[in-house]
Amino acid sequence: MSYIELDKNKCKSCYLCIDTCPKKLITKSSEIGSNGNYVVQFKDEKKECLGCAMCAMICPDIAITSVYKDE
Amino acid sequence: MSEKQLLKGNIAIAKAALKAGCKCYFGYPITPQSEIGEFLSLEMQQKNLGYVCAESEIGAINMALGAVAAGAKAMVSSSSCAVSLMQETLSYAASDELPIVLVNVMRAGPGQGYIYPSQGDYNQAVIGGGNGDYHTIVLSPSSVEECALMTYQAFYLSQKYRNPVILLVDGFLGQMAEAVEIKENPYPEIDNSSWCLQGADNRPSRKIHSLEPNQDKLNQHIINLNKKYHTIEQAEADYESYYCDDADIIITAFGSMARITKAICNHYKKRGIKIGLLRPKTLWPFPYQKLRELSKKTKIFIDIEMNSGQMLKDVKLSIRDDASISFIGKPVGDFLKFEEITYAIDNIIKESNLASL
Amino acid sequence: MQVYSTPKSIKKDSKFTFCPGCDHGLAIKLTAEVIDELNLREKTLAVASSGCSVFLYNFLDVDCIESPHGRAAAVATGAKRAFRAQNKDRFVFTYQGDGDFASIGLGESLHSALRGENISIICINNTNYGMTGGQMGPTSTIGQITTTSPLGRNKNYHGFPIKAAEHIALCEGTAFSARCTLYDIKNIINTKKQIKRAFDCQLKGLGFSFVEILSSCPTNWKLSPKDAHKKIENELSKIYPIGIFKDISND
Repeated sequence: MSYIELDKNKCKSCYLCIDTCPKKLITKSSEIGSNGNYVVQFKDEKKECLGCAMCAMICPDIAITSVYKDE
Repeated sequence: MSEKQLLKGNIAIAKAALKAGCKCYFGYPITPQSEIGEFLSLEMQQKNLGYVCAESEIGAINMALGAVAAGAKAMVSSSSCAVSLMQETLSYAASDELPIVLVNVMRAGPGQGYIYPSQGDYNQAVIGGGNGDYHTIVLSPSSVEECALMTYQAFYLSQKYRNPVILLVDGFLGQMAEAVEIKENPYPEIDNSSWCLQGADNRPSRKIHSLEPNQDKLNQHIINLNKKYHTIEQAEADYESYYCDDADIIITAFGSMARITKAICNHYKKRGIKIGLLRPKTLWPFPYQKLRELSKKTKIFIDIEMNSGQMLKDVKLSIRDDASISFIGKPVGDFLKFEEITYAIDNIIKESNLASL
Repeated sequence: MQVYSTPKSIKKDSKFTFCPGCDHGLAIKLTAEVIDELNLREKTLAVASSGCSVFLYNFLDVDCIESPHGRAAAVATGAKRAFRAQNKDRFVFTYQGDGDFASIGLGESLHSALRGENISIICINNTNYGMTGGQMGPTSTIGQITTTSPLGRNKNYHGFPIKAAEHIALCEGTAFSARCTLYDIKNIINTKKQIKRAFDCQLKGLGFSFVEILSSCPTNWKLSPKDAHKKIENELSKIYPIGIFKDISND
């Protein structure tokens, strides 16, 4: 199973990851972060994550700290 | 080899810098200090050391900032109007506590002025031309031999206190040749491995910066700097005292001006008038304490400078209202003639009703 | 299998202080990744400058010095020369904005390239003075509205912008000069590749290496991070073409 680890304290709600995820597994959460905006969340109920790490690569704040890919 | 050579002050400084372990020199030509760079350009290349004829004085002193941060002893030299260009980085170096040695072989100002000798940069060096609460140590040689000795001292004090040091040299001294012996560096080496930036190998990474957005931290930083300045003031204020004990009159003068003043003292000694000379060797820290003590006994002070009276205010701060103070000066050019000075002093003596006259 | 992790050369628990969506974060992250991959962390001196780029020293876990505004190339020159004079093999790079590199510091920048100083420079070009609130900078494009060009940059009134990577490529001392950008994954991968090439040039002792990164400034452009990236893709990369303008490493 592929998945990502997200540090919500570092998320500044730029939402670049939301547009980048090919499976649209990252969305706005209902939790308000330090910048006063909704931080993102990773939800993968159907186990669709590819472990492509594109979300981590485009995150300017290293809020996506780790990506694990299913072998 | 210890034998006397006929050397200009500029060359003596360059030779002493190499002996002091200076690893890098950065500069840009300007009269009357260009011989320093000319001499070091060959020596440093042959010794595989760092020499850059920089694109500007701004470039030069910033290269020195990088070099000393990288753990090497580094020197820059320039003259008056071009030293003005370096003031920003001097302020950074003071805040960063980086030991840059800056040689200013003074010419006349303001602005471009000309290459005539002058002591017009006292204020810039002592008060500081950069922004913020800071001090640079300022050394003032009065002979070619002292140019060399104070170059050693400049490197030593800069490393000891992690503070920029200015060697403030009169244009006369830079250009004047004297028979001197360049002695060995008398000062010990100071270990800089606890702060310099040579890579975070087996230790946490380090950062050197003056920017500090945290108000409390910035306050504390400046308070710490001032504690260091206080220590320097207590420990390093240095002077030469010439016939000052029991003097009726004390002359204050620095650099090459003090040399001539000794002849004045001797002249009046023959006439039975006791005139002493107090020559600050460190302009910052200024020998306030010594002058203060002298002003308890001697009641007439004369300040002689090759400017419009810049050190004068520090002398006034020392003697306060305990003695009278007169100023003899000429901003630019040839030294004041012997007769000009004695004429002025004679008048001061007459006005003061000294018993001996 | 872990396919992505926070670079080791990023300080633990550091949080970037840039605005949301700012490409500075990406550029620093890629720089840290290259430092890790080339095993440079223990032998690096980074030179930060003035402007948004100054806070580099809070994020990169390498030795770092801040330079006065515009003088990073001179500080790096002095440091590199000093390491050589001490027989120490060290890696020196600067991280600057376009205002720092190409306006106030153009003299130091250009002469470092002309001398062929063996240093590397990463320059973030976001077409304005970001930290001071988005004034017109040396790279602001013709027509660009900023707080000091409220009617748009006019070539007859304000003059023309500078294309740093092309200028640096003209210098004989330059080993490598490239422009890249960060608006999508493909370009992010390319940018990392160019940073690595530039750093490699220094490691091989080839001379001055330069990477200009065309970056977004969503706050001062008054665009969302996504639209800021689109602006780079559709507009800015036409004015500031992506490419390698000089590379002697393969000669």
